[in-house]
Amino acid sequence: MSRMIFKLRLLVVFLAVPALGQSISVRAPSSVSAGSPFSIATTGSGSGTFYLLGPNHVLKQTVQFGQDLQISGADVPASGSYQAIACDAGGCTNTAFYVRPATPARLSFLVHPSRVPVSAANAINATALVFDRFQDTVLAPTSVEFHFSPAGAASYSRSQTTNRGIAWLQMGSSAKQGPLKVVASVGESAEPRVIQQVASEACGLRMTAASSARNVRVETDPIRDCSGNPVPDGTIVSFTKIDRAGRSTVDTPIKKGVATAQFSVSGPARISLACGVVLGNEISIGGRP
Amino acid sequence: MRKHALNLGRVGAVLLLVWATLIWNSDRSVRAASLPRVSLNAEAIAPRPIEQRTGETVTRDYAHAWQDLAECLAGNRTDLLNDYFTGTAKQRLTQRIADQRKTGLRTVYVDHGHQVKAVFYSPDGGEMQLVDQAHIEVQVFDGQKAIYTANSPHKYLVLMTPGADRWYVRSLESIPDEAVKD
Repeated sequence: MSRMIFKLRLLVVFLAVPALGQSISVRAPSSVSAGSPFSIATTGSGSGTFYLLGPNHVLKQTVQFGQDLQISGADVPASGSYQAIACDAGGCTNTAFYVRPATPARLSFLVHPSRVPVSAANAINATALVFDRFQDTVLAPTSVEFHFSPAGAASYSRSQTTNRGIAWLQMGSSAKQGPLKVVASVGESAEPRVIQQVASEACGLRMTAASSARNVRVETDPIRDCSGNPVPDGTIVSFTKIDRAGRSTVDTPIKKGVATAQFSVSGPARISLACGVVLGNEISIGGRP
Repeated sequence: MRKHALNLGRVGAVLLLVWATLIWNSDRSVRAASLPRVSLNAEAIAPRPIEQRTGETVTRDYAHAWQDLAECLAGNRTDLLNDYFTGTAKQRLTQRIADQRKTGLRTVYVDHGHQVKAVFYSPDGGEMQLVDQAHIEVQVFDGQKAIYTANSPHKYLVLMTPGADRWYVRSLESIPDEAVKD
């Protein structure tokens, strides 16, 4: 009888030894997408603590070894490297896995500058950064559509594929002033921006003079750029008079498309005209024309 | 008697000021001395080349960002995140630290340096993208117990944007080795 009990005890110990010696482990899937639920397999027996460490989240919970752990999508909201760690009284084990970004859902779109002169080559820069709905950079090459709608002209589009989540292009402004609407889109996400195209430098700058006994009044023709766009009111025009009294300059803003100035003159005088870097005609008063 | 007390008070105030200055300076020098090593390679940057001064500033500010990140994760504090982080990077680190605090965890980084390649600089100078091959030893503690130790290279995709006097880390994402060609 006692031999029988001894054999039974031996059997119990024999059966228990593998369980006692069994170490714990965790195994994560090879591919996980941000925001998607998945499970982590555990081996071993008994209970312990499970940790999930991610770029913006830490999860800590009790785990029953030997069972699968269900991880909700809310626990992996950011793409990047994650560590799954399980600990029991004997120590800790871990596995690292990578959470991929989800599908493209958002755009960050930057257009520079907000005002640009007409007919300027490579003056407009558009940069689009593509993210998933969790603000993760979408690394997979993605096609971004840039749609341009200039005022009073036909719309056109250009497509660029992202590299490391960024698509960019550089383009010239059109010849006609007015708003230029640029829309970048990826999937159902679209981001509009508006650039103001303004007249370029004045072109063919001319003035006429009307003189009385001691005064001269000068007035420009309507000031336009080389594409025929009126240079905006407020742009400064400089009139310079040189006579016996010396040199005198009047800076005056364009009003209703023209600029005017009045000088008192003593003897023969020369009056010149400039707007920005552009020089206009020169008029001689009281002497040879 | 009253005059004597006033003098003692003045001396005390001066000593306190000297002590505070010494503590402040020693803290600053310790922080400066422990800046992580960052080397920047901008040979492949496009479409705009990087100016030397900008490269130096980006390198310095990125090193400061990692120093602050390590201090914040080790001490579960978020105050230093304002200096060199903004946008998504700041939000994510703030959330991670809040979670660490809640669960009693802290993460210690031993920073062995960063090999950074500048890969994109927008024509208007508004964004710069970097790929960082970082050598960082990571230890995670639950209370006093070390639950995780790793010493392996990590790759990060970084987006930096300029501010008034510095460059900020706007996005800091760990990426798998094969994710981007650098």
